[in-house]
Amino acid sequence: MDFNGLSIDQAPPISAPLRFFLTAPLFAILAGFLVLFSDPEILRTRFALESIAVTHTITIGFFGFVMLGALTQMLPVLAGVKIPNIEKVAKYTHLSLVFGLVFFILAFIDDNKLFYLLAMVGLGVGFLTLISFIALSMQDVKNFTPTVKNMAISLFFAFTSVLLGLMLLGEYVSQEIGSIHMFLANVHSVWGIFGFAGILLIGVAFQVLPMFYVAPSFKEFCLSKVAKIISAGLMLWLILNLFIPSYALVAKIWIATFFWAFATTAWLKLNKRKRKVSDITIWYWRVASISLSTGSFFWIFDEYFDSQYTVLVGLFFGLGFLLSIMMGMLYKIIPFLVWFHLNGAGYMSIPTMNEMIDKRLSKLQFFMFLFSFGGFVFSFFMPQFLWFFALSFIISMVILEYNIVTCALLYAKIKKTKPDFDMSAFK
Amino acid sequence: MNSIKDFLTQDHRRCDEIFALMEEKANANLEDAKEITQEFVTDMEHHFQMEEKVMFAEFEQKTGMTQGPTAMMRHEHEQMRGLMAQLLSSLEEGNKDKFMGTSETLMILLQQHNMKEEQMLYPMAQQHLSAEAERIVDMMQSIVVE
Repeated sequence: MDFNGLSIDQAPPISAPLRFFLTAPLFAILAGFLVLFSDPEILRTRFALESIAVTHTITIGFFGFVMLGALTQMLPVLAGVKIPNIEKVAKYTHLSLVFGLVFFILAFIDDNKLFYLLAMVGLGVGFLTLISFIALSMQDVKNFTPTVKNMAISLFFAFTSVLLGLMLLGEYVSQEIGSIHMFLANVHSVWGIFGFAGILLIGVAFQVLPMFYVAPSFKEFCLSKVAKIISAGLMLWLILNLFIPSYALVAKIWIATFFWAFATTAWLKLNKRKRKVSDITIWYWRVASISLSTGSFFWIFDEYFDSQYTVLVGLFFGLGFLLSIMMGMLYKIIPFLVWFHLNGAGYMSIPTMNEMIDKRLSKLQFFMFLFSFGGFVFSFFMPQFLWFFALSFIISMVILEYNIVTCALLYAKIKKTKPDFDMSAFK
Repeated sequence: MNSIKDFLTQDHRRCDEIFALMEEKANANLEDAKEITQEFVTDMEHHFQMEEKVMFAEFEQKTGMTQGPTAMMRHEHEQMRGLMAQLLSSLEEGNKDKFMGTSETLMILLQQHNMKEEQMLYPMAQQHLSAEAERIVDMMQSIVVE
């Protein structure tokens, strides 16, 4: 029998998740600058090269980095498995992804063949290696809880979405955009957002709403069926698009309905939470619930307007839903990890989680973000104001980065001192 | 028959509820939270000792594993005892920020500890000790906390 799950060594070194978490806001800041210096009219079209650059700076640079970083941390704790060589794997895949993404952004700004190729190599190696290592470790899972099942399903969508992304990049390298390019790009984005990110975050919600807020557990139906139903919807959506595109809306309604139902359920669970004390992580969950509901409706609505509003849908799903939840979770996870690793190493006098991040700063960060998010939606109709909200978004992300760096520096500072207890006997 | 897993899991939920009440009271007024904090600490200690003195001991004897999962759980109990001592000292000092920060840390540590026990250790214990489950639950119920 494998007892790894119960060992302190099981937790990966703090460097594995932290390097991803520290990088994510930097890419969000970069995305803000890209928006600031782009022509707002161009950003309203989804397939413009500049739009692709901005979108991926957020989707890969923030969402991808946070989700992969979180998986390296959560999988050992939630599923009791060890990702082999995680310290090295995290280090090199992180480097590869940063390298790939930087060239990705440069490539789409400059429409440069060599840069497209370098992006393809960096992102391909980084994503596929890390996803494979995580997937391999999942073979050892003895007890598939609903959250772990969702993780496994989301990894499948991550993998396919990455492969499709690489194919699409390949077409830019050869500068031969095939006739099904748009179709593949649609599958890539819908599976990436709903399959990888959406299903993963639903799984995480199953675990963290009861755990962090003492909210009632999700119902058995929700726990065991929702991820499968959404996956079936995503498959159906693909098949219908391939063979009878005029009916693809049915699958869209299917997917949107279940995401909307999840958003509503999460909202109600939070209302019923026993832990009444409120903090910005709860506010972030609230924003995410509202945005996910609104986004789901807009996604359907968009169908009747010849996809004119796709960028707006992307804003609600991307910034309102995904970015909000991820930021909320970072505020919980990072201070805890710092405390956990220091305490495990024998340090007893550690600042409390609330002392690590200045609450006023995290509140300011939240409101700046909310203001920018609302502003981006507004700028969709009034593009001349976009630069202003790009600036406030940048400020919000700078504060987020500052808050995370503060925790990391505190960890490094305390780690340099001598521990109160020698824990080597426990190793 | 009350299984070891169900019995201890229910006790986790009970402690969670007291925790939530304690935090709510402390957030409103730290002075008012003294009694319930004491209740929380006492109940947690009771739970720890039910495990350490009865269930873990039986498990270790049956399986011969003293350095396995139970050693890790004991270590985490110690971590939580440390945090609970900090809760009490911040009450003495009247330091609300420290109290809320400590309770936040304790909550996450406690929840991931519970998860490991409920999803891994308790099912294992149930498997190895099922024949004696009733006796063990009885012993846990009648334990005197030191």
